[in-house]
Amino acid sequence: MTTVPLYEESAHRKHTPWRRIMLAVEPYIYIAPSVLLITMIMLVPLVIGLSYAFRDIQLINPFSGGFIGLEHFRTLWTDAAFWHSMKNTLVWTFASVVLQFAFGLVLALLLNNPFPGRGIVQALVFLPWAVPTFLSGLNWAWLFNPVVGPLPHWMAALGILSAPENILSDPSLAMWGPIAANVWWGIPFFAITLLAALQSIPQDIYEAASIDGAGPWRRFTDITLPFLAPTIAITVLLRTVWIANFADLIIVMTNGGPADQTQIVSSYIFTQAFRRLDFGYASAVAMVLLILLLAYSFVIILLRQAMLKR
Amino acid sequence: MASIEIQGVGKSYGAMPVLHHVDLSIQDGEFVVLIGPSGCGKSTLLRMIAGLEGITSGAIRIGGQVVNELAPKDRDIAMVFQSYALYPHMTVRDNMSYSLRLRGTPVERMTSVVSAAASKLGLDALLDRKPRTLSGGQRQRVAMGRSIVRQPKAFLFDEPLSNLDARLREQMRVEIKKLHRELGTTSIYVTHDQVEAMTLADRIVAMNGGVIQQVGTPLDLYERPTNLFVAGFIGSPAINILEGRLRCDGERRSVEIGSGERISTAPLAHGHDGQDVRVGIRPEDVQISPKADGGPTAHVELVEPMGLGTIVHIRATHHALKAFVLERVDYPVGTSISYELPASKLHIFDAMTGQRFPE
Ligand SMILES: Nc1ncnc2c1ncn2[C@@H]1O[C@H](COP(=O)(O)OP(=O)(O)OP(=O)(O)O)[C@@H](O)[C@H]1O
Ligand SMILES: [Mg+2]
Repeated sequence: MTTVPLYEESAHRKHTPWRRIMLAVEPYIYIAPSVLLITMIMLVPLVIGLSYAFRDIQLINPFSGGFIGLEHFRTLWTDAAFWHSMKNTLVWTFASVVLQFAFGLVLALLLNNPFPGRGIVQALVFLPWAVPTFLSGLNWAWLFNPVVGPLPHWMAALGILSAPENILSDPSLAMWGPIAANVWWGIPFFAITLLAALQSIPQDIYEAASIDGAGPWRRFTDITLPFLAPTIAITVLLRTVWIANFADLIIVMTNGGPADQTQIVSSYIFTQAFRRLDFGYASAVAMVLLILLLAYSFVIILLRQAMLKR
Repeated sequence: MASIEIQGVGKSYGAMPVLHHVDLSIQDGEFVVLIGPSGCGKSTLLRMIAGLEGITSGAIRIGGQVVNELAPKDRDIAMVFQSYALYPHMTVRDNMSYSLRLRGTPVERMTSVVSAAASKLGLDALLDRKPRTLSGGQRQRVAMGRSIVRQPKAFLFDEPLSNLDARLREQMRVEIKKLHRELGTTSIYVTHDQVEAMTLADRIVAMNGGVIQQVGTPLDLYERPTNLFVAGFIGSPAINILEGRLRCDGERRSVEIGSGERISTAPLAHGHDGQDVRVGIRPEDVQISPKADGGPTAHVELVEPMGLGTIVHIRATHHALKAFVLERVDYPVGTSISYELPASKLHIFDAMTGQRFPE
């Protein structure tokens, strides 16, 4: 054991200063190619995209492109459409995540009990996840359409709607259309991850609890939930960020309408960039969304760490 | 505290029977050890008593009440699992007080009960730690603590010490015995380890293939094993079993082993001339001496020093034997040795049925 450091020391003394620098740099040279590649692929586009936020870039105006500082952000501050889409984003994200999570958890709990045909049911449950969002958006738009779809008639029969009309064209209800499609499409994500977490809970802990006197409800709150908490935190975080950014269903089903009632921030960005062709302003909005989501993720990660440490 | 009656209990998983008509009655305050080879249904029986497995047939009574349909939480028993099954997200204190909290025990009483149990088990300093920061032995104690706090009708142990090293196992064994003497709670204890079984049990239940083979005090099973299975399962080093043939010569009975060598036996009630039998003799009952004194002889094959004594493996013409002697002998391999099998120490079993011959 003692001969090793001695040997290294004597080896070091023989090196010239140049060689010593080379030895120190050597590992960095090895990782340099990957670091360069990652920077180019991930960071460069991000930085270029963000730089648009400080420039006046309008595709229809060939003379635009100049640096305008914080001008876009000043406009944004007073842009009523932006604030409205912000509020819609909150509703859209919150309702979608809560419902996806609630149904996903119930489904995972059901699938965690053995019953005949469980394998097939599991496969079926996970099917929506495989449907392209574009397709599921169209599908749900048709389901809500009273001419071809059954849903308005059912809802009217149940008394939820006064008449079998398309909720997607009712400004006060339109948001629930994309939310319903999103919930249907996103349940499997929660069901899969929560089921995996459920299956990793040792059975004998439940047995010990039931001998200790815990009924089904106490076993759920005292054992299942604490075991699931870290998974819940991370999946809710991922889904929240993802859904807040997720405009596909809204674009396909309502295109932000009627009267901007379903416009969320990311669909607003899409509208600004590809309808109005104002890339500069769209980038500024995107930057605000990015910062908000980063802040949110940071808080959740702190929460999760606090929870794991406990 | 309560008695436990198991009457004609059977268990099948689908079409596969695991337990066959088990009858066992355990008195109030008794310490009963279930022992048997892996897969014989010990855990299954214990879990049926706990209510973790359904009962296919028969009835289980705890304190006179049939509990077949009762949920585990209503049976008022405590169980210590092999894996300990502590709640990883709760502190030691919360692990121990969980059952009391579920029963709505007042906080002051809970605190005093938990600290009493903790000091009994030497856990005082660990009460605020999480299970994952504890050693195996400490976890084991917490699992014990969790079951003693609520003074259940019975303790069920499923191989509670098998994850501990030999030293700790010995220590915990003594503590469990002391605890039982102190609390006097009816206990059922499953183990593979016959030292645990012999030292802890008031009565041992030896099981094989889902059938109870013998129930009795540790010495009963050791000195009068009812069949070949029990004879071979209990005792370490294991009993010697020799093939032989019964010889009746008027009232005198003897067994012929190998070709012609005869050993006389204690009087037997049954058996006819020429019947195939198995002769069992415990290693410590085989008497060996290096002097040729006219008895049968064999030569030493192997000597195993055990510290406490020595196991000498000897081979005669037709059979091999193990002898256990307390002296520290060191015979060179090949040494010629004479041995004797005392008639009163022989266990004679029917070769066909494996049952002990009545004497
Ligand atoms: N859920 C189950 N489904 C089917 N068979 C089972 C089930 N649980 C146990 N068995 C079978 O029942 C038999 C007895 O099992 P048990 O766990 O009671 O054995 P054991 O005596 O406790 O063994 P060990 O000493 O290895 O713990 C085994 O053959 C086992 O394969
Ligand atoms: Mg077992």
